[in-house]
Amino acid sequence: MQKRKFELNHLLKWRNTLDKCIRCGYCYEHCPVFKHTRWETDAPRAKLIMLYGLLSCQLEPSKYMADKIFSCFNCQQCISACSSGVPLTEIFTDARADFVNTEFDTTGTTSVTGSGCGNCLTCVRACPHDARYFKDGHIVTDSIMCQSCGICTSLCPNQSVSSTHTYGTDRVYLNRLITDFLQKQEAKVIVFGCNWSYYPDLQSSSYETESSSYIPIYEKPDPEYKILITMCGGRLTMPLLLDPFLENGWGVLVACCPEGECENDGNLTSAKRVKKLKPILTSLDIDPDRLELVNIAHGDKAGFQKAIDNFMDKIKTLGPLVDERSMNQQIRNTKYSTD
Amino acid sequence: MKTINIPKLKEIVGENNVKDNPADLFIYGSDASVHRAMPWVVVRPENVEQVQGLMKFADEEQIPVITRGSGSGMCGQTVPSQGGITLDMKGMNRILEINPPDVYCRVEPGVVDDDLNLALKPYGVFYPPTPASSRTATIGGEIGNNASGVRSVKYGATRDSLLGMKVVLPGGKLITLGTRTRVEATGYQIHKLIVGSEGTLGVVVEATLKFVPIPKFRCLGMANFDRLEDAGHAIADIMAGGIVPSMLELVDNVAIKAVNKTMNLGLPDVEAVLLYEADGMVKEAVDYEIDTMKNMCAKHNGTGLQSSYDAKERAKIFMGRKKLFPALSKFSELHASTSLADDMAVPYSKMAEMARKIHDVAKRNNIIMTAYGHCGSGCMHTKILMETSHQDQWESARKAVTEIYEYVRSVNGTTSAEHGIGLSKAAAFKAEKADSLELMRAIKKAFDPNNILNPGKLMDAPDDWVTATDLRYIVES
Ligand SMILES: Cc1cc2nc3c(=O)[nH]c(=O)nc-3n(C[C@H](O)[C@H](O)[C@H](O)COP(=O)(O)OP(=O)(O)OC[C@H]3O[C@@H](n4cnc5c(N)ncnc54)[C@H](O)[C@@H]3O)c2cc1C
Ligand code: SF4
Ligand code: SF4
Ligand code: SF4
Repeated sequence: MQKRKFELNHLLKWRNTLDKCIRCGYCYEHCPVFKHTRWETDAPRAKLIMLYGLLSCQLEPSKYMADKIFSCFNCQQCISACSSGVPLTEIFTDARADFVNTEFDTTGTTSVTGSGCGNCLTCVRACPHDARYFKDGHIVTDSIMCQSCGICTSLCPNQSVSSTHTYGTDRVYLNRLITDFLQKQEAKVIVFGCNWSYYPDLQSSSYETESSSYIPIYEKPDPEYKILITMCGGRLTMPLLLDPFLENGWGVLVACCPEGECENDGNLTSAKRVKKLKPILTSLDIDPDRLELVNIAHGDKAGFQKAIDNFMDKIKTLGPLVDERSMNQQIRNTKYSTD
Repeated sequence: MKTINIPKLKEIVGENNVKDNPADLFIYGSDASVHRAMPWVVVRPENVEQVQGLMKFADEEQIPVITRGSGSGMCGQTVPSQGGITLDMKGMNRILEINPPDVYCRVEPGVVDDDLNLALKPYGVFYPPTPASSRTATIGGEIGNNASGVRSVKYGATRDSLLGMKVVLPGGKLITLGTRTRVEATGYQIHKLIVGSEGTLGVVVEATLKFVPIPKFRCLGMANFDRLEDAGHAIADIMAGGIVPSMLELVDNVAIKAVNKTMNLGLPDVEAVLLYEADGMVKEAVDYEIDTMKNMCAKHNGTGLQSSYDAKERAKIFMGRKKLFPALSKFSELHASTSLADDMAVPYSKMAEMARKIHDVAKRNNIIMTAYGHCGSGCMHTKILMETSHQDQWESARKAVTEIYEYVRSVNGTTSAEHGIGLSKAAAFKAEKADSLELMRAIKKAFDPNNILNPGKLMDAPDDWVTATDLRYIVES
């Protein structure tokens, strides 16, 4: 496709608004992207400063900059935290429009369709933001419209949809945390929460892995369960939900927003998956009660804790998974011994 | 610009802790001030050894080092006006120890104030200096600026809560200052000197801080005044009245109008509002203090007197003050709210006159200024609302800032109550401290012989803040 020249067509109108940002930095600590990298250059304020640099011709546009602008989960936490009422995501959307189809066009956290796509259109139908469509024999993402909710990445039967940057929300990353945790002696349960229903921010906010003592004492992790926060419950794939069981976890609790309260309908997607997984668990000799979904309203920390406590009680009654799955375990052991 | 040995820096702090893309440098060239200048490179150390390595390297190469917390300083403290290495301390953000029996905690400098307070809460204690920016400000930055906040009237500023620290000096030497005890009379209290030194003396890599019990009762009250002078008299009477409020805040009518115009909170259209709070472990004692303050307000024609212990009610009463910044930003399409003449302190008896002066100066210079602040600490803040693209508005701002600080000096006030000096208040600071500047320079030299730490700030900053660096706004000539 012919690339157009980079021009500040959409951004221009925000010139005065960019001056409204008093650079207080209140938007930092709520941004999952900043939480993950802990680089100031990934914070919402930084994006505004960069766009200001573009508008004032003090910065040349680059792919590096575009990448930052396209890396945003559109969670709007920055807007609610902003001390000066700056409509950050609207500005970012216009900035994207200026970058799209130029030589700096890039993908960031938006979805990308890989070569394994079978054109089944599942993702097109499922996208809650009308950001995926079929064109010239391919499925493409409208990267201005895409809100990086991750629903399409989690749905594709061929696992052909992904995003370039995931900031700690991808299966590989989460799986590493699951495996690390479940190796510990007292560890029993993995709790998945979305960034809205319970809002302690992404697990990676502690910057380092578990070895870091940063995790403030108040959040000192309970040795029996681990909370993992994804951006949206709709991102939780079935394999990811099963991962903890493969590591001998005793149970998995999924916390999503109440019905009608998820912009991406990710809670519905998640509920469907949990429902589908139950018979699969049964077929694996795993009590389906070991997987449960609860709906937690935004910021309801107490409700969330109560749901976890109830689930832990139930799981402790059910006991360890190993007994139930002794057969699977045996198969595994056999495999190892023949290696 | 000096060529920097980037591979060497990567060797010291690791491949992933160095940034030198122009976009990154541009971003790190700003803080919450009006200034802008780019560092040559940004590094983010993760531990003390790395800071030592960096300081050795920078000293040998004589490269400026600008230590940075969250960059929420309002006077250009972290704007690298002479280029150099920006040392981002947010990579060192561990809470190292909370020790209730000995009533102290130890933290790394990148710990965010609110995070520390969340961690302390289960122990029934809090770290009190807490600036309004506590959700983003780091302990290192609070030490750098000697930050304080709404409750400092009772609990003091950062300097009062700091027991000791570890500091890396230029050249890489690590020194331990202060103690873990409540009092100390062991020679010069050098750690107290580091507080407020704005990153010019050393890099703080660990701080030992004391904490205080969270009071069981907190009561917030409000009073409206038709005349600013009456509010001023009430402040002076309260502070001399034998009680210690835990908060005493003034909001002027420019701010009230802004809040009403943009938020529809329906605040009374008066010249000044006072917010007063008392706290303690015994309700009767809090009642007594609140009643005393109410009476003082009533005596000076305060109206609409109300107060509440209820957290929700208190939040409602405080809403006008809380919404100040967004209100000022939204006040008019054309005006931006800039951080200039942003803070000062004057004796209590001069608070009202100070606010009046600010309004007069603004009017004369064709800009909009609001006066508000932690008046219990004698601290006054302003924001200048102006059309930042107009060159002549900057001339006006320059004049206004000069006039305001001339007044502050004339009443024996001080140039900065809590935001510090950086670049934008240097002229007033130098005039105020004229007879101790040489001593300050000698101290700086003793710590930093090659002048690599945040050079060109405080006493070494240029007198004219408008031209000290580029302005961060687009100004049309
Ligand atoms: C909206 C808003 C409200 C504010 N309210 C208040 C308030 O109520 N009270 C108040 O006091 N301030 C206030 N401030 C100013 C500022 O937020 C505080 O002074 C804060 O403490 C700065 O913290 P920071 O981490 O952002 O530091 P930075 O701005 O990054 O740095 C501040 C200074 O400390 C130095 N420094 C940082 N880390 C270290 C270290 N490890 N070792 C040595 N020096 C270091 C820097 O070199 C710099 O000179 C406010 C600012 C904003 C934008
Ligand atoms: S909307 Fe984007 S920039 Fe704002 S907090 Fe969320 S991820 Fe960060
Ligand atoms: S919170 Fe708002 S005003 Fe503050 S830095 Fe972020 S965008 Fe700017
Ligand atoms: S489903 Fe979500 S991630 Fe996928 S294209 Fe639509 S908005 Fe983007």
